[in-house]
Amino acid sequence: MCLFGRIPYFCFMNKLLIIFGLLISVSLSSCIEITDDITINADGSGLFKYTINLSESKVKVNSLLALDSIEGKKVPTLAEIESKIGEFKKILASKPGISNVKIEADFTNFIFKLTCNFSNVNTLQSAVKEVIKEISNEKNIAELEAVWLKWDGQKLERSIPDITIKKSKEFKTEDIEQLKKGKYTSISRFAKPIEKCSNPTGVISKNKLATMVQTNIYSLTKNPKLLENTIYLFPNKN
Amino acid sequence: MKHLFLLFCSILFTASFAQKSEDLIPRDAVTVFSINNFTLLQKVSLDDLVKYEFMAEVQSELFDGSTSGKTLKDAGIDFDQKMNIFYGRGKEYEISGFTFGIKNKADLFQVFDDFQLADSKIPGTETYTSFFNSLIIKGNSALLIRVEPLAERVNELTDSIWYANGNESPWADAYEGMEEDLKEESEKEVLQEEIYDEMPEATQPKTEDEFPVAEENPLQKNYYEMRDSVEMVLQIGFLDAICKDLFVSNLNLKAVDSRFAEQLTHPSEAIFFLDNSRNLQQSKKIWYLETMFPTLYTDLKELYTGNVLLGDLLLNNNSIEFKMESRYGEKLGSIYEKLNHSKFDKKVLNYIHKDNTAYFTYNINLREAYEQAFKVIMPILTNEKNTQMSTSVLALDLLNEFINKDALFGTYKGSMFGTFNGIKKVKTTKIEFTYDDETFEYQEKEVKAEEDMPIFTLGFSTERNDIPLKVLQHLSRLTSRFQNKGTYWVFENAILNAAPLYMIANEGLFIFTNDQDLAENHVNGYGKEALAKKDAAKAAKSGSMYANINLAQAIDRFPRDFFTPKQNEILDAMRGKTGSMELTSSKTTKEKTSFDLLYSYGGTYDNAGKYLLDLMNSLYIISK
Repeated sequence: MCLFGRIPYFCFMNKLLIIFGLLISVSLSSCIEITDDITINADGSGLFKYTINLSESKVKVNSLLALDSIEGKKVPTLAEIESKIGEFKKILASKPGISNVKIEADFTNFIFKLTCNFSNVNTLQSAVKEVIKEISNEKNIAELEAVWLKWDGQKLERSIPDITIKKSKEFKTEDIEQLKKGKYTSISRFAKPIEKCSNPTGVISKNKLATMVQTNIYSLTKNPKLLENTIYLFPNKN
Repeated sequence: MKHLFLLFCSILFTASFAQKSEDLIPRDAVTVFSINNFTLLQKVSLDDLVKYEFMAEVQSELFDGSTSGKTLKDAGIDFDQKMNIFYGRGKEYEISGFTFGIKNKADLFQVFDDFQLADSKIPGTETYTSFFNSLIIKGNSALLIRVEPLAERVNELTDSIWYANGNESPWADAYEGMEEDLKEESEKEVLQEEIYDEMPEATQPKTEDEFPVAEENPLQKNYYEMRDSVEMVLQIGFLDAICKDLFVSNLNLKAVDSRFAEQLTHPSEAIFFLDNSRNLQQSKKIWYLETMFPTLYTDLKELYTGNVLLGDLLLNNNSIEFKMESRYGEKLGSIYEKLNHSKFDKKVLNYIHKDNTAYFTYNINLREAYEQAFKVIMPILTNEKNTQMSTSVLALDLLNEFINKDALFGTYKGSMFGTFNGIKKVKTTKIEFTYDDETFEYQEKEVKAEEDMPIFTLGFSTERNDIPLKVLQHLSRLTSRFQNKGTYWVFENAILNAAPLYMIANEGLFIFTNDQDLAENHVNGYGKEALAKKDAAKAAKSGSMYANINLAQAIDRFPRDFFTPKQNEILDAMRGKTGSMELTSSKTTKEKTSFDLLYSYGGTYDNAGKYLLDLMNSLYIISK
């Protein structure tokens, strides 16, 4: 069982970004840092960035990539990973409302970055759902029914799909230690100043245009709501 | 009195000729584990027992809920008889199973509750079956066996009957029109689902998972039904033949193989038998040789004749000893003898730290082995009258003449050593994201980091250190990752793309290591910190091979990520066990080489049977 598969939210994100999942699936108990960064412009369009940083565990990742299989599942070669990245990029770029899809893969430090522009948050969500369905060949993925991004021009609701966390009980002690070192950072940026955010651990940048929530991966497995956040912008002056 | 004497004689006669569990091992068995001191296992629970690979793979489905909470003692098994676990693969079928003694049949069938009484074709035996397994009882001994015809043989026979009946290829429909379909698919990018939806249900294509449709006439079988029938007929036939051999003709492995029979007489806790020569003959890969080069195949078969591995497992007060004897025929033995005709290179001992976790030395003479192999194998190859083989023989002969063997075998003589020093932190770098408080924009920053890495050293004896150094000098011109540090060389990021590999050429040794301390501070060896004289002497005195593992340290330090989950399970089972494991070998003769694996454990142990099974399981996995 890969670490990614054990974490409910990651499980979802694994489907969300399956190619990154391919790599993460070999990372087992590696120390991992994830950053998601969404910028919403005044017209509702925006920029989505998603980064996975495995550089702290590159020895471990390299050693796992050297194996043929883990728990009966084939470990992909670097060439296969590159090919899947290309496939993912092509499918995502073909979705309506999505443009400028870029994926940077650094196989030396094992850092993977996805960036794309979207016309509105709904198109981003739809595109992601469709890509997942196409790549996973599954038509009915319950997790995809959830809405994890909602934007009405004044407030942004970010949530995590309601997925069972029973898998997290299977973690071994050494996995837990690594998960505690892992970090998830969620950033939301806006064109207008932020008034407040609902997540008690959320912080607002000095320029008031961004908010950030950070948590360790282990805590996230225990409570997927840790990253939930509703961000309110100052109302427009009439 | 006369009648009494006759009765006594007849009882004695019956007892003498009653078949014991070891007499029920089929002669097709290639690998056998035979446990003599079976009483050791009385305390082992059946639930634990079936978890072992050697049991689970043999008959795991036999033991369902009926084993819950029971020990072997509750299973009606006779602990005064040996328990023998066997496996074998022949040209037409594969067998696996075990034989054992029975004390209480009622208790036995509490565990073997899935077995149903079947008609027995052999007088004096009782046969029970459950799916593909058969339990045959004669007197107080039982044989639990599964016979599986080889798929190739089943397919061959099925095809033959299928086509003889005038049928077309069973896959003809699957290929029909495939090219056309593919062409059409590439031309029109229309989703299949859309077409299906428009089609009437009756004409919609079948899904991949659909089972073959049964024929209207129940006597008319489709291909897969016919294949199942063929398999079953073969299975019954093979089992009958094995039973006739065992119970009528008294032909069993013990009767036909004197080496195995002799091994069974050893007063050890368990014995091991592996007939390597038959393993070679039945190897799937050998068929090409057998078909294309029959003379060569016959000669090679002769070369491998007598190649067996015999083992004894001895349970002492504070140790378990596994004595192995590798036997071979004269020709192969002559190569092994030359291979092991080598003087131990004492210099290697200076590079093994006294506190190391595990180390091995391997001492062989490749040059002499090469010359002998050339002498033995070339006539065999030359014997094969075949163009392809003659060309290869010519090429080999020419290479033998042209190659500078002094340089080749001077560079790599064949002797080597290796050490494992557990896990150390090695310096690497990582990328950190730093966030700007003003905007939360982030930047990447390379910072120093540390990661765990197994530390190893591997070195070999050489008379020509100048040759590998030549290679390094040329490589350093090609890339800056190879650097000459004066007393040693370093290859940056060589290991897992993150840590350096150090190379030391010194005193007739060429050493690879990722131990920075060895490269920087001990290029001339560890000196006083090297292996203690007593331990060094053991390594020097051993034959071609010596290994020593500090078990507690090694198992705790083994990097889990480098092993499969099953291997990790075995390591987990060994965790918490203290002591050391030592492998020594005898001098090699033309007939045999002996190996002795001694596992000495400190302190007391609760369940010797568990230790025994752990070890046996490891051996089983290794020998598979």
